[in-house]
Amino acid sequence: MPNPDNDLLRKALAKAVAGLTGSGRLDVVEVAADGVTSFKIMRDDHGVPRGRRWHTPWSDLAQDREALLRAADVDPDDDTVLVCSSPGSSRADQAFEWLRATRPDAPTLRVDDSIAALVTEVLGADPLTRSYDLVVLRPRTDGTLELATVPLFPVQARPGATTTMTLHCERGGPNGTAFAVVTWQGHDPLLLSVQSAALPPGSYEITAELRRPGRVRFSGLPTLSGDPRGWAELIAEVPARLPSRATGPGHLICAIEVCGAEPKVAERVGRARQVVSTLSNLPGLSVSVVAYGAHSFDRSVKDHRVEVRAWRVDVSTAQSVLDELEERGPITQGYPYHPHAAQLEDMLAAVDRGLAGDPASPVALLTIGDRPPHPPKIDNSRVLPCPSRHDWRAVVAHLEQSRNVVFGAVVDYQVGDKLPRVWQLLGSAALANFDALDIRGLTSGLGLTSDAVPVPFPLIDVE
Amino acid sequence: MPETPRHHIAMWGAPGSGKTTLLAALSVALNRRDDDWKIVGQNPESSAYLTDMTSALTSGKEFPEASTALETYQWALIGPPPTGLFRRQAKRASTMIGLTMVDAPGGHFAPSKRTGRTGGAEERQEELMANLTQSRGIVFLFDPIREFEVGDAYDHLHGPLNRLAEKMLETNQFEGGKLPHHIAVCITKFDDPRVLQTAHKQRLIAPDLDDKHQFPRVGVEDARELFRELSRVSATGSAEMVMNSLDKFFHRDRIRFYVTSSIGFYVDQHSETFDWNDYLNLVPDEADKAALRIRGPVYPINVVEPMLWLGERLARQGRSR
Repeated sequence: MPNPDNDLLRKALAKAVAGLTGSGRLDVVEVAADGVTSFKIMRDDHGVPRGRRWHTPWSDLAQDREALLRAADVDPDDDTVLVCSSPGSSRADQAFEWLRATRPDAPTLRVDDSIAALVTEVLGADPLTRSYDLVVLRPRTDGTLELATVPLFPVQARPGATTTMTLHCERGGPNGTAFAVVTWQGHDPLLLSVQSAALPPGSYEITAELRRPGRVRFSGLPTLSGDPRGWAELIAEVPARLPSRATGPGHLICAIEVCGAEPKVAERVGRARQVVSTLSNLPGLSVSVVAYGAHSFDRSVKDHRVEVRAWRVDVSTAQSVLDELEERGPITQGYPYHPHAAQLEDMLAAVDRGLAGDPASPVALLTIGDRPPHPPKIDNSRVLPCPSRHDWRAVVAHLEQSRNVVFGAVVDYQVGDKLPRVWQLLGSAALANFDALDIRGLTSGLGLTSDAVPVPFPLIDVE
Repeated sequence: MPETPRHHIAMWGAPGSGKTTLLAALSVALNRRDDDWKIVGQNPESSAYLTDMTSALTSGKEFPEASTALETYQWALIGPPPTGLFRRQAKRASTMIGLTMVDAPGGHFAPSKRTGRTGGAEERQEELMANLTQSRGIVFLFDPIREFEVGDAYDHLHGPLNRLAEKMLETNQFEGGKLPHHIAVCITKFDDPRVLQTAHKQRLIAPDLDDKHQFPRVGVEDARELFRELSRVSATGSAEMVMNSLDKFFHRDRIRFYVTSSIGFYVDQHSETFDWNDYLNLVPDEADKAALRIRGPVYPINVVEPMLWLGERLARQGRSR
């Protein structure tokens, strides 16, 4: 049967705790049979009420008023509640009177039992003064990721409240996927708790339960454990893009610029070989090798045609073709071949022709080169027009829209340089620097392999 | 005693404005014409220089290198016997116009301070000035691309012009308050897309219907307008003063503008006609990014015409220098 005195005290304490704002403090002093117990309660940065408790036995107080007041440590600016849990004891009554005289404004209550458990109960039942959100990542349409939050519990939510949501999890790295709960200080998130687990990639229906202020439990997942990472560490692990997943065995076309200096041509072929070798364990992959050079602009020297050296061959055959290509070296070099542009537009047209007769399958075009294409007609670039008047922009758009080609490129560029539009398009799915080739990133960007980049938070709005 | 020209034309222009290339192109242009006009050296050095320059343009497909030494070359433009007003000279077997190019870097025309120590520059200027004073025809080259990028045409015009005026005044050769010369202002690099597009946008293109290659052309009557339009994009904004200076120093009816190209437009070897989509006759050089080579056959545009106009006007004037 509930004790009416305890109910009164619970309500009084709950009201006093609810009234705590900002840096305000609540002092609760219990005069008990064995001494004086003080509780100092204040809210932390998340609005969670936290209490500190200390006990001073009668033996240390020696019936001394000043000693009692020092032990109770009642601050004149703090809200105060005075409780006597040992009524009838002359020592306790005396002490209680001294305290009442010191803070005549404070509510006073008399109960039969120690109040420590009741204070804990009141703090655990305090409704939220800040909303709680879960940190997630949201993919944008271009594949990049933005940090977002999902609301868990609003202000005034009480322990026992639940929220259920469906989240997607990718591989989360060594610490697993972090379920980070934040409150807000203005527009800035403040990390309340982080729990993590290594989860198999996939979708999860997750229920978050508010256990008490400051404590959220997630169910629908393997057991989560505490994660020592701070906010900065977690944010630092967020990748720029949503990791790509392999689209399955398809068709990789390696288009290689084979004009210019011999060492550079050899390096380009070498980069193609590196990529192809990485994919040697990919069953069912077919590879094509296309070589293109520079146009001749002297009527006495016949223009070289783009060479389709191999079309839809296996990895082993492609490697042999690349060996031959490297051995042969540049096909066009010096005058009268154009020194600053290449037959990129003719290569694209040749790829388009080749794909026209192929069965539909995922196609990745990896272009390894540097020079720009020739425009279909004179433009501001002053690069001479393509003799066949191929329009590289139109062919790229056609390959993308009608042949479902994804584009990757290995280009010699300096980070920070403005990349020419053609290479932005030809590297739209995967762009690698010639001198710092990330093969894994390249192949995953092209959809040939899965991405190894960990994603530290759950994802929402994943199609 | 060998026959000598009665009329002389001198060339004038900023460095890099294309004087050497224009002369090389003149030989090519004359050889592409179905008439008797030809250019002949008046001394072994001039003949050899002409041969070298023309070969560079046609066989080597390279721009002739401007001479770095001060050298005076002399050629004669020899054509058919005069007709019309020339008839008074009908006893002569042919028309002959002396063409003098002081093939020095154009910088010698730039204004310089008159100090005691000139390192010979003043002597060179005097030689150039003598060449201009002895001629009654001037070919002045205006490179619109250089003007757009550097903008120094006026710098290379007004100094020598003042000196020329001073010389002519000394010898009492001013006519009606102006210099007695005829001047053909050649707007060069018509083959450059920026120049061609400007002419096209201003609707100044008038194709020659008799031209089998259908090259775009800007007629003499519209060339002044193109000059004015191109002057607006001068890097220094001083090009507009070029036209004013010309009008102040020369009689208006003795100034004629020509829109020229020494190398002309590229034409496809099969169609042999001008193609608006592919007319650039230059290819960048592999070794030197700034250098250019000539892509195809050279079809000079309006290179002979200024010479013949000057020759005809000088002959009509009936004066020789």
